[in-house]
Amino acid sequence: MHIPENYLSPATCAVMTAAMVPVWVHSVKKVKEELPKDKIAMVGVGAAFSFLGMMFNVPLVGGTTGHAVGGTLIALLFGPEAACLGVSIALLLQALIFGDGGILSFGANCFNMAFILPFVGYGVYKLIAGKAAQEGKSGRLYVAAAIGSYVGICLAALACSIEFGIQPMIAHDAAGNALYCPYGLSIAIPAMMIPHMAVAGVIEAVFTVAIYAFVRKTSPDMTYDSIRLANPKVESKKSRTPVFALVAVLIAATPLGLLATGTAWGEWGADEIAEIAETGSPLGYTPKGMLEGFSLDVLMPDYTLGEMNEVVAYILSAIIGTALLVIIFKLLSMALRGKSAKNAA
Amino acid sequence: MLPEWMTKTEDYAPPKDGGAFYRKTLKSLGGIMKRLKVEGGKEGRFSLPAWLKIILLLGLIILVSVVQDRLIIMACGALVLVRLAMMPAGDIWGVLKTTIFAGVFCAVLVTPAVIMDPARLSNSLRLVLKVMICVTAVGEFNRTTQWNHVTGALRKFHVPGVIIFIMDITFRYIVLLGKLMEELLTAVELRSVGRNDKKYASVGGIMGVTFLRGSEMNKEMYEAMQCRGFTDDYEGL
Repeated sequence: MHIPENYLSPATCAVMTAAMVPVWVHSVKKVKEELPKDKIAMVGVGAAFSFLGMMFNVPLVGGTTGHAVGGTLIALLFGPEAACLGVSIALLLQALIFGDGGILSFGANCFNMAFILPFVGYGVYKLIAGKAAQEGKSGRLYVAAAIGSYVGICLAALACSIEFGIQPMIAHDAAGNALYCPYGLSIAIPAMMIPHMAVAGVIEAVFTVAIYAFVRKTSPDMTYDSIRLANPKVESKKSRTPVFALVAVLIAATPLGLLATGTAWGEWGADEIAEIAETGSPLGYTPKGMLEGFSLDVLMPDYTLGEMNEVVAYILSAIIGTALLVIIFKLLSMALRGKSAKNAA
Repeated sequence: MLPEWMTKTEDYAPPKDGGAFYRKTLKSLGGIMKRLKVEGGKEGRFSLPAWLKIILLLGLIILVSVVQDRLIIMACGALVLVRLAMMPAGDIWGVLKTTIFAGVFCAVLVTPAVIMDPARLSNSLRLVLKVMICVTAVGEFNRTTQWNHVTGALRKFHVPGVIIFIMDITFRYIVLLGKLMEELLTAVELRSVGRNDKKYASVGGIMGVTFLRGSEMNKEMYEAMQCRGFTDDYEGL
């Protein structure tokens, strides 16, 4: 699943890296908060473990082998944030030393394998496992680990195939020929998903459960679940992971908006209204209020800053929009907190 | 008088086992260990500082991937080839192996697109060429730059100390834990004569032991650091 150099357009690489920044910042913060000082170097162990895990061939039917990514496993052992950092570092080493995965596409690779894979895998695991860890129901934990790792790797492959698939649409020359990956979504998605759902997902699940079961049996206090259980103050802290995940996904997903040929439903410009065929025949006129009403176009005409490349402009608007939303929500929550503090007094 | 069972010729042939995953894993592990051990990177006497090399490498990769003009891509290709020509033969082969693999892989990948629409030929060839230039450039970089200089350069770029510390640790742990895995794999392989029906148990065992040993080593390292006056300040390392 390592995307090499030049398969993705530079704009896509920039978006994916931008999407990873909030995730990395959050992970560094969380790891510093959550892991005791002597465990910081454990992230290094996690990275080395992830690197070696990708070298490990898992036996398959008929004498063939395949290798796992192990993102969910590392999340189960070290926690999803430490897994994110560990896998990112492993990917960086692979890109720099082994030419495995590109340097520009590093952000995209991290998004798929260091963000989606461990966070989704761990999320699904938690959802299914529930309180099984406290109750000591190992069987349910292993089923949860298997399904979590399977779903995690399949979603990571889906993200990867979407990144590939949008290339012909956002980067092509005047004749319409793709400049980077030449396959559209209709080819990229099945080409990535079928092997991942049939083979790679199974390998991932087997690899994860085999090692997780071993560690739980031989040294049950080493898993992330038990570290959390032993550290109740960590548990009580409100997790902001969903917010960061949402921000990252939003930024990454914005170029998808470029794919829709029309304007989003309900977002027509005044000039477009006349052409809309809501009831079968074009409207044929523009509502008067729209023609004379206040126009926001002056600030950001159609999300585009002047003559700039459409894609870059779209991404910038996405980043600006996300930042504005975060600022508004922060101010709102500060105001609300102030109010409740006053009420309490 | 010999007992009867000693007079019979031994014709026990262990049942064939389909899986070759020990051998395959050992081989890929051996490969990376060899790379990492040599990977000191041989820097010449007049080698550029690592931070400058990183900037140049990034600049080249961005240029190659943004530009569509054939002349500029050719110029970048020429630059990369000249640099390669100045390296010792052993290193050249090492770099070229990766380049050829990446080129062939990319060519296979774009072939169906070209068959479906022959007009795509020139774009597809350009993509293959671009991939090969970038892979060669990265190969040249890591064969001529020492790893400790790379982390030094990252510090110059104000990457947080914790991250650099973790990267250095990772590099060392890959070698240490890789060695441990090699030993475990060899041990399991030697003990599994014929068909081994417990392959999955050994996957869990090998990686599980590696993980536990890694955590143990980590604890020992932290204690050793504390004994030498480490005050939990990763930024100042």
